[in-house]
Amino acid sequence: MKRTLGYAVIAILFFALIWVWTLEVDSSLNYPEFISGGALFFTIFFLCLFNIRKRVPFLPLWPARKWFLLHTVAGFLALSLFWLHAGIMWPNGLYVQILVFLFYLTTLSGIVGLVMEKVYPNLLTRIGLECIYERIPRDIAEIRNKAETLVFECTEKTGSDTLAQHYLETLGWFFQRPRFFINNIFGGQNAQTWVMQQCSILERFLNASERDYLDKIFALAEIKRKIDFHYSLQTMLKNWLLIHIPLAAAVMTMVVWHIIVIQVFFN
Amino acid sequence: MDENKFDHGKSPYERPNFPFRCGRGALWRTPCNNGPKVDGSCGGTRDCTPFFKEDRWLCRREKRYGGPCKEGPSPTGECSWQRPPCAPRKTLREIRGQISFLAVAAIVALLLISQALNPTFAGFVNISDAGPLSKSHKKFTEIEGCAACHAAYGQGPVGWIKAVFTPVDISERCVNCHSFGGPDSIAHNNDLAIDREVRKTECIMCHREHSGQKMSTRQSTSEQCNTCHKNKFESFSKGHPEFPEKYPYFNRNAIKFDHGSHLKKHFENPKFTEKAPTSCTGCHQVTLSDREVRPQAFETICVNCHGSQITKKDLVLIRLPEFMQNFVDKDALIQACNSPAEEKTDDEFLSVSTEMPALVSAFLLNVPEDDPETYEQPLQELIQAMTEESMLPIEDLVNSQTETPMADKLLTGLNPEVLKRAACSWGLNLEYEPPAEAKFGGWYADMLEVRYKPTGHRDPVAKSWIEFALNVSTVQDDEDKTTRAIAMRDEVISAKEGVGSCVKCHAVSETTLADGKKKLEIEWQYKEVNNRPHSQYSHTSHIEIMGNKSSCSNCHILDGKAEYMASFKGFDATKWSSNFSSIKRKTCIQCHTESQINQDCQSCHIYHLNPGFKKKMVSAKRQMPEIKK
Repeated sequence: MKRTLGYAVIAILFFALIWVWTLEVDSSLNYPEFISGGALFFTIFFLCLFNIRKRVPFLPLWPARKWFLLHTVAGFLALSLFWLHAGIMWPNGLYVQILVFLFYLTTLSGIVGLVMEKVYPNLLTRIGLECIYERIPRDIAEIRNKAETLVFECTEKTGSDTLAQHYLETLGWFFQRPRFFINNIFGGQNAQTWVMQQCSILERFLNASERDYLDKIFALAEIKRKIDFHYSLQTMLKNWLLIHIPLAAAVMTMVVWHIIVIQVFFN
Repeated sequence: MDENKFDHGKSPYERPNFPFRCGRGALWRTPCNNGPKVDGSCGGTRDCTPFFKEDRWLCRREKRYGGPCKEGPSPTGECSWQRPPCAPRKTLREIRGQISFLAVAAIVALLLISQALNPTFAGFVNISDAGPLSKSHKKFTEIEGCAACHAAYGQGPVGWIKAVFTPVDISERCVNCHSFGGPDSIAHNNDLAIDREVRKTECIMCHREHSGQKMSTRQSTSEQCNTCHKNKFESFSKGHPEFPEKYPYFNRNAIKFDHGSHLKKHFENPKFTEKAPTSCTGCHQVTLSDREVRPQAFETICVNCHGSQITKKDLVLIRLPEFMQNFVDKDALIQACNSPAEEKTDDEFLSVSTEMPALVSAFLLNVPEDDPETYEQPLQELIQAMTEESMLPIEDLVNSQTETPMADKLLTGLNPEVLKRAACSWGLNLEYEPPAEAKFGGWYADMLEVRYKPTGHRDPVAKSWIEFALNVSTVQDDEDKTTRAIAMRDEVISAKEGVGSCVKCHAVSETTLADGKKKLEIEWQYKEVNNRPHSQYSHTSHIEIMGNKSSCSNCHILDGKAEYMASFKGFDATKWSSNFSSIKRKTCIQCHTESQINQDCQSCHIYHLNPGFKKKMVSAKRQMPEIKK
């Protein structure tokens, strides 16, 4: 928190410096847009460096945690500098309108990502299971294999196919792949309720030995439910970048074009 | 499931930075241990790649995947655990990279298409368009487009690169259409700061375009003015210099109107009270008045009291003076005048007149008006000539005084017959008896004089005689003639006795010509003050706020001690005292303070000197309907 505050203070001071400088330049009948525009370009360029930093983890640069903090603070700084530079919320002209629209979208996606980065890790920690995103398919397949082995074993040993029938009709669907995606990303409990419900309705039709197998399958379903939760939240944590980064790339391209046009026509 | 199985020996090493992931895993089946190859093909068709050692194939399956298999490789060296290939999928990182590339490519494509298309054809997709122009600029740039202001427009990539390294002053394009009263790149278009160097100015310092229909004109702030101005201050109420001593009455009025005597004396006289205006706006026209509040016309506001005075003051062109001897050739006179012959007598000549000649004729003949022995012969010769040629000798005399002949103007309406008859009478040493009284003004002869009676205000002959008198009084080389010209001038422009009493109200001022010579001019018209092009003031808006009755006297306070009329005794217009006390800054600060009314510099000051448009703009405007078609 202290570090965040420190970065925020630095950003505010930087913005204040640019603001005062533009006022000074403006009052001397020069072009403050060059000052605010230069600061904005520098800030946007710094924001882009975060992505580059993630591609070179072997270099002894700052840890990603610090970069993320700086990226967040610099994002808000860029928004403030943009308003200082443009002077208005929505400019005239197709070109700048596209640029500003993409800039706003990038900022909005960044804010959404920031909220997720702050909320989801807490929810994932609370669920009590660690899971690597890339291994989730392997984990789910493993759980499914175990569940199906248990169902076979139950049928063979007890001579009853009640559990197997139920598995085929209901639980098999659950173990097939991650489920309850939408409900999970909003922190819902539908998956837990569903698993509990499916196991409890079957319980009264089973004998004691079958119940032991059901208990084991229930335990696997609980793990699967937690993995599903991981899958949903981690998918969101990773996939918001599918919007943010392409938008940022488009903005940067347009910024470069903007600078070229300014240099050509306003030199 | 082992929840904590990330042990080095057990766990496969995931590489999310790889471009592909296992197709089986994507279908939620158990991914293979090897994963896809870098080229995107399946790498998991077998568990291991057996190696040949000591004449046999050995299994190389890793320990964490179960170690060497029981079956072992086939005799041909193929792995026993083979499966059909999967269809690897792209990783999120790869997809993200591809979308980013597409986004950049889309923008670049849009830019290139926009540049490649003819802007006049596809202006609406012109992504380089910085925004709509103001209404006026949009009209005038319809033909040339962006190139009207931006030199690099349409010059291609080479032109663009050149433009980056060649500084261009965009203001140079502005002055293709806009004109100013002075150099366009000097502050205020006026060489005001002659004692120091000031920076070159550019239009875009204050004026910005591409902001839509409303032109974005940057409001000048005190700080911006302070950038160049030596005397720096915060606002009008805080630090603005005091107004000059005579502000705003720097120039002598063209019309002598003593506000002091009129307001305090004449308008309070019961004789004139009914005719007097009840407020300032009774005489001054405040509707649509900005800096100047012009008085209304003479016929509206002055004629009631002063109208009859004009026709009472005549000009005497010729007066029959006292002669000592008779130089008139009687025979020629009788013949010219067709009068009966008189018997010659030896009686001593006794002049019918005891007057002095008119100053006008004395000047025209260049004779002293007080020396009969000198003037009698030329004057009698003139009379003799008038009997024979009527107006011609007078016209010749008048025309010979100025470079441009003025007789036509000065003698307009003079009846040659009347002049001849009068000359005939005077030649016979008789008084001329006019057939009727001159009631309606104009030229007439009466007893011993030829006179001109002004017909009313703006009488052209009276005006011309005053201009003539002023003109000839400054151009004579001969000292005596100069003295006579000045004597004539003083009589003609006399406020009390001059023709039409014009100079009672109209000021006569001395001006310096380009060649350095002095010239006297009478100011017939109300003179607007135009020597302060960088300041403005709207009387209308102030009167609207303060009301019609007392608003004038809030600022214009009558100065009872001022010697207003004395200022017009001489011809120097710079030496004068106004009827009103000068306006002080504190008067304006009563309202123009921070908490009340706007006190920006631009409220009172105009930056540009005489802004206007160049001629081609007018013709361009005329062509606009054709352009639209």
